[in-house]
Amino acid sequence: MVDFGILLQIVFWGVYAGCIYILLATGLNLIFGVMKIVNFAHGEFLMIGAYITATIFFITGINPYAIILLSMLALIAIGAVVERLCFRPILGTGKLNEIFLSIGLIYIIQNGAAIIWGDKWQSIKSPYQEISVPVGPLNIPIDYIIIMVVTTAILCGLYLFLKRTRTGREMRATSQNRKGAMLVGINVERIDILSFGIGCAIAAAAGTLWVVSGQVFNPYMGSIPAIKAFAIIILGGLGSIPGAIIGGLLYGIAENGAAYYFGGIWKDAISFIILIIVLVIRPTGLFGESGD
Amino acid sequence: MKYSVLFITVLLIAAALIAGCTQQAPAKEIKVGVIASLTGPASNVGKNMWQSAQVAADEINAKGGVSLKDGSKVPLKLIVGDDESTQQGGQKAATQLITGDKVDILVGGYSSAVTSAYEQTVAEYKIPFVVTGASSPIITHRTDIDTSYVFHHCPTTDTYGQYTTTFIDQVVRPAVNKKLGAAADRPFRLALIYQDTAFGKGVQTAVNETITKNKLNIQLVSQQSFKMGESDFRTPLTAIKAANPDAVYIAAFPNEGAPLITQARRDIGLDTIFLSVENNDNAQFYKDFGQYGEGSIIESRFSPYTAPVGALADAQGKFKNSYNAKYGVFPDMMGASTYEGIYIAAQAIGNAGTTDKAAVRQALVDLNMPQVIEAMKGGTISFSKDFRESRFDLWMEQLAFNQTIGECRPNIVWPDNLKVVDFVLPSWYKPGSA
Repeated sequence: MVDFGILLQIVFWGVYAGCIYILLATGLNLIFGVMKIVNFAHGEFLMIGAYITATIFFITGINPYAIILLSMLALIAIGAVVERLCFRPILGTGKLNEIFLSIGLIYIIQNGAAIIWGDKWQSIKSPYQEISVPVGPLNIPIDYIIIMVVTTAILCGLYLFLKRTRTGREMRATSQNRKGAMLVGINVERIDILSFGIGCAIAAAAGTLWVVSGQVFNPYMGSIPAIKAFAIIILGGLGSIPGAIIGGLLYGIAENGAAYYFGGIWKDAISFIILIIVLVIRPTGLFGESGD
Repeated sequence: MKYSVLFITVLLIAAALIAGCTQQAPAKEIKVGVIASLTGPASNVGKNMWQSAQVAADEINAKGGVSLKDGSKVPLKLIVGDDESTQQGGQKAATQLITGDKVDILVGGYSSAVTSAYEQTVAEYKIPFVVTGASSPIITHRTDIDTSYVFHHCPTTDTYGQYTTTFIDQVVRPAVNKKLGAAADRPFRLALIYQDTAFGKGVQTAVNETITKNKLNIQLVSQQSFKMGESDFRTPLTAIKAANPDAVYIAAFPNEGAPLITQARRDIGLDTIFLSVENNDNAQFYKDFGQYGEGSIIESRFSPYTAPVGALADAQGKFKNSYNAKYGVFPDMMGASTYEGIYIAAQAIGNAGTTDKAAVRQALVDLNMPQVIEAMKGGTISFSKDFRESRFDLWMEQLAFNQTIGECRPNIVWPDNLKVVDFVLPSWYKPGSA
């Protein structure tokens, strides 16, 4: 019989891991929803976000949580450039082109980062690393609570942006029917750039939170989280942001549960086992609609 | 007549040319292939290995190079192969070095999983290979391929797993009993967390076998694994904490070990003694975990920040200074054994007097050269007759936090003939309970 406190702790670590996955998967889903492109290089934007945070922190000593905004702004710009130069020219030319382009981008971005920042593992220390707060039977470092709060704030912000602003509504319209959106006068190319930039910015936020939580990072850190983010959006339903949130949480908790009960080597495998089971039962994913 | 003379002249010139082509030209350089992880998760260690190899080659070449049978002195030419920290990358690098660059000897190899993947190619082409980083005994013990050209110049997981377990039994266990006021026969509660690779499993096997074979009063209360390159250890550490250990033995690479200890102390509240494997004795490791490394133990044979007292301290100091002057940082342990690996390769080729592969292999079998910068059993480097392994003198270091530099620094605490200070349990240490 597992102790309730331990179970709670595992769920907590799962939710923390889920926060990173949710942000990564939400950004990926936003891009897929609007542009319908498959970008395997999405994890590299998480990596760039991590490095921007660390670099600014090393140079200025600013609180790394404050750097999250700078990191997101920088990634909006970087994402817009990548969309304009790389994805727009091949938009609609076939999925294979998108896949190979994004695989190429992985190598270019990773090696570029290695040239700029070196390829050693690095880490930074949160200013709050010594502070813990009692939560029920647990004594939780405050950083993880801040990470959960920041993730929730970003998701709420995205929700309000998509629901309450004109641009957000245009984004949703483009996502639902690209030709229809064009017919009613929406500049879909502008929406493409915006959604790609915002998707990358959310990945950058995930990178900042990754770094602040004390995890090590190097130029190759993004590949595995990106694969998991893809699995999450397939699990949750392509284009569905609630699906990405539920999928991310489910993966985070399942991974940590599997690591506890079956050993660390099952941590990654369990994600894909869940994915296969869900797809067999519901091929459109948890929140997906047929036709996606 | 005129035509006969011309014909004979042409024939003589052709004969001379053919003879010139078939006669083996004396070697102008000795090509040494260095396989290291220049990219990928192990690049921190890999670069150190490659740069250390260059320091050694520069020193050897500054003295004229290696003497061959024909009396000539030939310089070493190092060619690096990046294994990209992957098995496929290793295979690619080894094949290029052997068949493309046609190296005379190979040195290096870090991850056991990666190194064992390209051993087949080494066996096929019969290239002498001095392994200086991969520590799983399977490197020379495996029987599925011919490993007779592979020589192991770094302690194996068997060796240091056994060594660390013995240290726990002889030093940590009595200290914990003393702190608890417990009887001497109280079983010591040890937890193990290991990378799920040949390296990590090798340590796990060594710990289990040492306990069983020597009937040690050590109980393994939790054994957790993680995949190579993992950065989130909170759940396996939660499982370990639930088992109430007296100490935790970590079989991990430095990029895993530092966050693991940080997460254990900071996030899980596991205030215990952590024992790390020797490859963690690396400047980046000290930097990464800051104050959380305080009180932990590293099994070592070469440290960027300490050395056993004696003649070797000077040799190590010279190497560290040369390396630091060239690259602006200190070398690590894998760099040290690779530095020695180049000296071993040069000595073996010098002894053989040729670059002929079979002769160099035999010279490695017969090798008996003075230790270079690391302490060897008997003060000499030689390879065992059965599995071609060199034998090192190891030590244990305990880390103390230095407020001024904001990092931990090591002090040798075992064995008695090398120790600088005594092992102590930190004031915050919490022993385990059944």
